[in-house]
Amino acid sequence: MTGRARVRARGITRSPSATAAGCLQASPTPVSADLSDNEASSNNGCEETSRISQQCKYVVSPGNAESTLMKRGGKIFPDVMDLGVCTREKLAHVRDSKAGSSGIPVKLVTNLFSLDLPQDWKLYQYHVTYMPDLESRSMRIALLYSQKELSNKAKAFDGVILFLSEKLEERVTELSSETRRGETVKMTVTLTRELPASSPVCIQVFSIIFKKILKKLSMYQIGRNFYKPSEPVEIPQHKLSLWPGFAISVSYFESKLLFSANVSYKILRNETVLEFMTALCYQTGMSSFTQMCEKQLVGLIVLTRYNNRTYRVDDIDWSVKPTHSFQRRDGTEITYVDYYKQQYDITLSDLHQPMLVSLLKSKRNDVEARMVHLIPELCFLTGLTSQATSDFQLMKAVAEETRLSPQGRQQRLARLADDIQRNNDARFELETWGLHFGSQMSLTGRVVPSEKIFMQDRICQPVSAADWSKDIRSCKLLSAQSLNKWLIICSSRAENVIENFLSCLRRVGSSMGFNVDYPKIIKVQESPAAFFGAIQKHVDRDVQLVMCILPSAQQSYYESIKKYLSSDCPVPSQCVLVRTLSKQGMMMSIATKIAMQMTCKLGGELWAVEIPLKSLMVVGIDVCKDAFNKGMVVVGFVASINLRITRYFYNDSRALNKWYEYNQGLPARIIVYRDGVGNGQLQTLLEYEVPQLLSSVAEASSNTSSKLSVIVVRKRCMPRFFMEQNRTLQNPPLGTVVDSEATRPEWYDFYLVSQAACRGTVNPTHYNVIYDDNGLKPDHMQRLTFKLCHLYYNWPGLVSIPAPCQYAHKLTFLVAQSIHKEPSLQLANSLFYL
Amino acid sequence: MEQSNDKEGHDVVGGHFDLPVKKAINFSPPLYRQRYSFVNDLVNQHKPKKVADLGCGNASLIQMIKSHSCLELIVGVDINKDKIGSQRCRLSPFSGEYLSPRDLNLSIILYHGSAVERDSRLLGFDLVTCIELIEHLDAEDLARFPEVVFGYLSPAMVVISTPNSDFNPLFPAVTLRDSDHKFEWNRKQVQTWALGVAGFYHYAVEFTGVGEPPEGAEHVGYCTQIGVFRKVGAPATEPCVAEQCGQHIYKIVYSVSYPSLQQKEVRKLALANEVSRQVQSMRQRYVSSLRILQRGEGNGHQVSDTGLVTFSGPVFTELEKLKIEKSPEPFRFGNKLYVPLERLLAYPKVNRLCDSVDTMRALIADTVRLSRDGSAVKVDLRDASP
Repeated sequence: MTGRARVRARGITRSPSATAAGCLQASPTPVSADLSDNEASSNNGCEETSRISQQCKYVVSPGNAESTLMKRGGKIFPDVMDLGVCTREKLAHVRDSKAGSSGIPVKLVTNLFSLDLPQDWKLYQYHVTYMPDLESRSMRIALLYSQKELSNKAKAFDGVILFLSEKLEERVTELSSETRRGETVKMTVTLTRELPASSPVCIQVFSIIFKKILKKLSMYQIGRNFYKPSEPVEIPQHKLSLWPGFAISVSYFESKLLFSANVSYKILRNETVLEFMTALCYQTGMSSFTQMCEKQLVGLIVLTRYNNRTYRVDDIDWSVKPTHSFQRRDGTEITYVDYYKQQYDITLSDLHQPMLVSLLKSKRNDVEARMVHLIPELCFLTGLTSQATSDFQLMKAVAEETRLSPQGRQQRLARLADDIQRNNDARFELETWGLHFGSQMSLTGRVVPSEKIFMQDRICQPVSAADWSKDIRSCKLLSAQSLNKWLIICSSRAENVIENFLSCLRRVGSSMGFNVDYPKIIKVQESPAAFFGAIQKHVDRDVQLVMCILPSAQQSYYESIKKYLSSDCPVPSQCVLVRTLSKQGMMMSIATKIAMQMTCKLGGELWAVEIPLKSLMVVGIDVCKDAFNKGMVVVGFVASINLRITRYFYNDSRALNKWYEYNQGLPARIIVYRDGVGNGQLQTLLEYEVPQLLSSVAEASSNTSSKLSVIVVRKRCMPRFFMEQNRTLQNPPLGTVVDSEATRPEWYDFYLVSQAACRGTVNPTHYNVIYDDNGLKPDHMQRLTFKLCHLYYNWPGLVSIPAPCQYAHKLTFLVAQSIHKEPSLQLANSLFYL
Repeated sequence: MEQSNDKEGHDVVGGHFDLPVKKAINFSPPLYRQRYSFVNDLVNQHKPKKVADLGCGNASLIQMIKSHSCLELIVGVDINKDKIGSQRCRLSPFSGEYLSPRDLNLSIILYHGSAVERDSRLLGFDLVTCIELIEHLDAEDLARFPEVVFGYLSPAMVVISTPNSDFNPLFPAVTLRDSDHKFEWNRKQVQTWALGVAGFYHYAVEFTGVGEPPEGAEHVGYCTQIGVFRKVGAPATEPCVAEQCGQHIYKIVYSVSYPSLQQKEVRKLALANEVSRQVQSMRQRYVSSLRILQRGEGNGHQVSDTGLVTFSGPVFTELEKLKIEKSPEPFRFGNKLYVPLERLLAYPKVNRLCDSVDTMRALIADTVRLSRDGSAVKVDLRDASP
């Protein structure tokens, strides 16, 4: 297992989103309704554009009247929309309290700041009409803003809807103004609604206010986050620049309005397309250069340095050179070289470079797409390619720069708060709206009791729940099938490491109670085809497991092997890199890891925790986009099939039957952990997924059906918690639960810290119980969730989400990245996807 | 002082009208852009360091000219405070300007104030532009205008543009082109006024314009008249004047300074980036040359020009080539490739950023791995990743 895989397996980081690392949410676009400030949000990162369309289909209008706000071209923030989904009121057992009770109280500092409003604060919404009607938004805004009546008032206006923090004297106000052309325009400003501060619309207006404020602090908006380009961190060896900044949001938490800020980094690539092409040319040689170039560049988003626009590369035109001329809009001809010189005072250094071609989509549909030529030298690459994100060295370098200790994070936060409070413009803006930026919030969480780990021959209390590999070193695994007939396929390069590895594997195997016989070793040439051929030739029904020792991390090896062995010829497979097995000093721990994985793939169980609930099935669901076919979404479903919750089955339609087979009856309770829910999808989940789950549970039995709970799991959430100790801030201890103040009044939700971050700041995981027939006490729900975080067999320690979710994630990731079809049912009983 | 509804200027023609009323005469590109281009060309030609735009409106002219490398200070002044603010975020540096910084410092400052008031911070400029400004001045202000701009500010060059009322009959039913215009002059009036002013304050003036009249109406002249005034026998600007009689009447609305290679930190980062870029490309070339050697000459088809596709990589002049060839070559020792700093310095892109091996070493020492004696950059040859 490579280092990257290890990190992923522990669920500590998913590779940071291509645009920004740190803590951003999978945020959709900058919202188009940028009321009042016509300072167009200048650009968006590379992924953003593609997200718009995906996000759109999830936009469901919340059932309340407030949604009328953004109907004119604007969208309501998806996360604000989720807040309109009140699930708690339907859950009788938590209506009064959703707080747990067990554990030791712990005082936590948060990244939330209180925003105070006067008691009777209201937002007044007006509708503005023009007579004669005006098309131009900027004209509408300019005319209204020139009015004396509105001049010293706090206002936000998008051309139609005007928000004021003070009520105008009349319900309907007639104003008139003169355009520069001398025409009189009448404006009618009509009060439509008075909104209390808790309304989602107000939240949106608050966000706009803070957007303005951060711009006043000379921060640079990209997407929805704000960055400080004046303090960059450079990683020259990977041609990256990192801009520190913040993701911010304003929203209503349990009892009050809070401003939350999270440190975020924008990753910019300090590499022009021309430099990229030059490097590629050296690498591939001329023969396949054009082909490779097109393969790598087409589809990428580039940023032009002279006007800060982003373009998608649709083609490369090798026949056009900068010395060629093009027709300007006025009809005159000019060469590209002269154009850039005249227009932007840029001198091109390479006059032989080809041109990038981009098709501009017209805003109006009737005009056909315009084609533009871009000069590679003037285009910066944006976003991290999958190649870059899989580059361990690169990601490590990025992580080292972006990882901040709780103390470092606190310093940044304090500085931001200080800037907001001290800057005159910012303060003025807040004051005119009647807002007061208050202090950082502290709250009390609880550290739930730690869990004991059950092995076959003993029960151990780990020294640290983050990693109990040492504690269980000499213990026997719960159950392990012995491995008698298996294959190792390797290239000749692996020959010298193989014997040493095998002896280690057998040694650790026997101490764990996992009997490993000597395998048949097949030596092949170093090519994906040779590996594949050997597998086809030698693998038959009797083979229990195939181990492939791969010469390189090339995707094609892994893909072809996994694809064949997961669906065409279902046999568990284990891929290891030669490089991994060559690390002499670490051989024992590597062998231990591999032995555990192999045990799981053969259907064994490694350890368990005490689960007091009897007849409980837990289900994990996750989704992942297919790597080839982006439109396709892979859904993974993993269900536990035994009482100890140590064995899993992956097929959704037969999971209950399987349970029946194993337990002679249906489970009394089913608890579904649902991961991969995007912003704004909560309503959809409630309307479609929960009923579907309910009906399939009901179908399974005619008389007593199992009780269902559905919990939405989110690894990316705004709040961060720090614990003060010895005058510095530290990560909260494992098992810290927060179920007050930083939670939402309309949800039955809690935060759980179930992962260790040895460096950097821990992200709490947010759990939102959206449906609950089981009626477990909140305390039990929290503790069960914590217990389930102990059961991920790829890591002897706690992970950030419950094991079924992590398994579902692994499964979908394997299908989406490598095998692209449904794995065979014959493997469904084992954790073949580890 | 006018509104351009369409910021990109894509589809609005004759874009200086407030309402989208179809006009009989359309200019392409729109007239306001033609005026800006005129100034842009002047900047290109005369390379001023300090430019002030009086009546800058929403600062679109500043946006257009700010990419010129010669500029170090651009100031915009307008009496309409709302308007100055409206587009200012477009004046802040683009992300590309952090990634590839300018050579010289540049500051952009927007002031709220009147063009007929004296503010010493506008003294000593190379170019002052008053695009479609004077026609908005009432008689009193107009009388004070020359004294302030030519007499007090006294820049090396002044550009004044104003509508040509000779052209107006071509528009359907227009008396004045804008309701805020106090007057519109014909060519004769403009020239009389301009020559008077120029004579009094020792400037030479040339008349030109933008917005060609349509065919058959050539006699009316350009739609916009432009006067370019140049100080006669202009002595070098006295920078100390500003300090002597400092009167700061204008209020700063916005100010920004651009990252530039004059700033040590910026230069340091740019150099570290450029050095590691060159080193990596040398390493890559070295690795691929090894590969070709290993494969033997059987694979010598790498230059298979299809006639159309030529990709040469960076281009050097003869002199640069010679310089590079004369410098010590990269060498290998064990698994490491060493690239002498002297070699790097021979590359023009590196050379632009530092002048000697010693400065280079001092600037990159804490970001790039150097050989023990500090004479070369050290890279690992083993790692296969690009």
